[in-house]
Amino acid sequence: MDTLPKSAASTKRKRFLPLRKKKKFNPYGFSGKTSVVMHILLGSFAFLCVFPFIYVIIISLSSEQSLSLHGYRIIPEEWSLEAYMYLWQVRSQIFRAYGVTLFVTIVGTILSVSVIALYAYAISRKQFLYRKQFTFIAFFTMLFSGGMVPFYIVMTQFLGLKNSIWALILPMTVNAFYIIIMRTFFQRSVPEAVLESARIDGAGEFRIFLKIVLPLSIPGIATIALFNTLAYWNDWFNALLFIDNPSLVPLQSLLMRIENNLDFIRQNAMLSSQNGSILASIPQDSARMAMVVIATLPIALSYPFFQKYFVRGLTIGSVKE
Amino acid sequence: MKKTILLLAMLLGMVGLLIACGGEEAGEGKSETTENEGGTGDTGEVGEKLDPVTLTWYLIGTPQQDLELVMEEVNKYTEEKINATIDLRLLDWGEFDERMQVITTSGENYDIAFTSSWANNYALNARRGAFAELNELMDQYGKEMKELIDPAFLEGAQIDGKLYAVPTNKEVGQQAVLSFNHELVEKHDLDISTVNSLTDLEPLLAVIKEKETDVTPIATFDAYLPFDSILQEEMPFAFRLDGNTDEVVNKYEEEVTMETLKVMHDYYKKGYIRPDAATSTDSWPLETPNWFVRKELYQPYAESVWSRSAGYEIVTRPLHEPYVFNNSVTGSMQAISTTSQNPERAMMFLNLLNTDPYLRNLIDKGIEGVHYEENADGSITDLPVRVERYNMPSFAIGNQLILKLYEDDPADKWEAFEEFNEKSIPSPALGFYFDSNPVRTEIAAISNVTSEFSPALLKGAVDPEEFIPEFNKKLYEAGMQDVLDEIQRQYDEWKENQ
Repeated sequence: MDTLPKSAASTKRKRFLPLRKKKKFNPYGFSGKTSVVMHILLGSFAFLCVFPFIYVIIISLSSEQSLSLHGYRIIPEEWSLEAYMYLWQVRSQIFRAYGVTLFVTIVGTILSVSVIALYAYAISRKQFLYRKQFTFIAFFTMLFSGGMVPFYIVMTQFLGLKNSIWALILPMTVNAFYIIIMRTFFQRSVPEAVLESARIDGAGEFRIFLKIVLPLSIPGIATIALFNTLAYWNDWFNALLFIDNPSLVPLQSLLMRIENNLDFIRQNAMLSSQNGSILASIPQDSARMAMVVIATLPIALSYPFFQKYFVRGLTIGSVKE
Repeated sequence: MKKTILLLAMLLGMVGLLIACGGEEAGEGKSETTENEGGTGDTGEVGEKLDPVTLTWYLIGTPQQDLELVMEEVNKYTEEKINATIDLRLLDWGEFDERMQVITTSGENYDIAFTSSWANNYALNARRGAFAELNELMDQYGKEMKELIDPAFLEGAQIDGKLYAVPTNKEVGQQAVLSFNHELVEKHDLDISTVNSLTDLEPLLAVIKEKETDVTPIATFDAYLPFDSILQEEMPFAFRLDGNTDEVVNKYEEEVTMETLKVMHDYYKKGYIRPDAATSTDSWPLETPNWFVRKELYQPYAESVWSRSAGYEIVTRPLHEPYVFNNSVTGSMQAISTTSQNPERAMMFLNLLNTDPYLRNLIDKGIEGVHYEENADGSITDLPVRVERYNMPSFAIGNQLILKLYEDDPADKWEAFEEFNEKSIPSPALGFYFDSNPVRTEIAAISNVTSEFSPALLKGAVDPEEFIPEFNKKLYEAGMQDVLDEIQRQYDEWKENQ
């Protein structure tokens, strides 16, 4: 197909020079020069985003001695696996924290997505009598919150959730913002007529939701599922507030504790005479970076699986009404 | 978007917290005094037949794997002695302050909590009414402990004549020292015996700078200034340690500050201090011998502790006589909460903890034969499992002077502590706890200005002749004079009642 217009163009090269250029025009791409510039621009931007993480990996593979003598280097004086060896030594703690994080992330995401989808679907339906009120109740919490102390009191004294794994799951189960996104998504992507035809075929409300609405809304569901997964995976604040029991501490919180401890001890001159014994129990630079690697890799790897839904879900659902 | 909301939520949370803090001061203070009176009334009967109780104890420190194992032993003992079991909860260093703040403002029940000048602030919480007043309780249930604890602690820690926490018996004075990397001292045949101040360091630093290219002569530190600081160390309000000690001053206006910081800056210009000193957060770990001199706070035989963790010898020279400051007497204490259901029993436990060597060593070092071994001469040796699974913050728990000694500890370690405590000089403002409430906004503004200027100045990174006047100008714009007046007023009032 290509050959014919090309030869034709070459014969009438001089006369139709502009035309030939026009033929090469690709509405979905850039012309040569722009393409090169854009590739360099976006490539370097992407590199800037990835670089810190690569740097973390490099630091985690440097030997502690060279770190403290020469500081962080892109090519360390001395490579070493001692950080990962240290993590292997304390593996019982790390595996447990991993387990907690995995459990919280999986159970939390499933629970959270179901609750959000059900709530959002109900308030997306015009037939639902109190949709305005329920929308408002959800929306209100986006504007005002009770504050940390009341939150703490409710969690510990009324719900008795201190030192319970549910303290890591329940506070993040319902997110008003996602409810609003999902509501809009349902209204946009599931036409009323489809629901009506299902009803005529004799489907009940639950069947309609499960068989018709959910399959049509996979991009939206996947997007909030990804957001939730990230939120659960990265959450450390709830653990900081409610968890004392070392066997219930999630991974991110473990990292956070180590960082906080270091900062705190550095800032407190009062502790200097005790420094040796306190610092001995805190992992060193390279070990901390190795922990970051271990804590971040799985979630970074899970991202591509969600990605194909991600862009669609974001653009469709993000228009608030 | 999500982040913004989260941020907003957190912001609101903070605001909520602040409001709660402000509002509760008055109300909570009231309710707790009545509860207290009820409590003391009961105590007479409780003394006869002790009901079994559980005491919740929040302590600072990294949670330890063998805690449960040890607490089982502890509980056997305390059940027998005072019919109480202890629920010890360790909260990590970095989060202790925040957690305790939430716990106290939410009015959660607990019995004992670690408090100090640097975490879970003692004066602030005592004023706020979070801690029970202990004078009477201690007279009744803590007589033995009262005799053991150095009186300087018990007097210095009283706020308006009332004690709100039991101080840990340890070194009472605070003494800044310069510690030296002994290997380098020997290698270049340096004489440190003449070093008594920052200025005396000059010739030594010059040698190190010239001959040791891999070594930074000064491991970044804040210059020592001879003042008793009100609030945090770097804040400007302070009392002089000699001369007119009854007048509160802005220490950044004093002659001695200018002189000291000039020396610091001179060292900086000569390259004795690393160029990014003002902003770097590197901790200069002891194990890495890339420094020559550093500043530390001293306690007797600290050099042997430091040498042990460094792996090479470290020697020290004092910068001044040990002083007893508010910060040093309130360096580590245990308070009893006003929400405690059993303040008497909590006091009995603290009494036992501070006087009974068996209990004190058990909580500190773990179980004999499991975590440590006792040698023939009564000293102990750590088993590896203790460092890994039961590494407790010794100084934060209680009376240090009844602890067993390690085999390489000098036998007279605790006697040296007592001696050190005796020669410590009480600072002029010892026992004066400034109530910052009337000038809260000014202090917040001053704190901002201070954190902008003081790190660079104190570490020598900027020229004091240029920046101190600017710093002071901004301090006065932020309301410095009002705060100085308020401190002076409270101080005079306090002084009169002495």
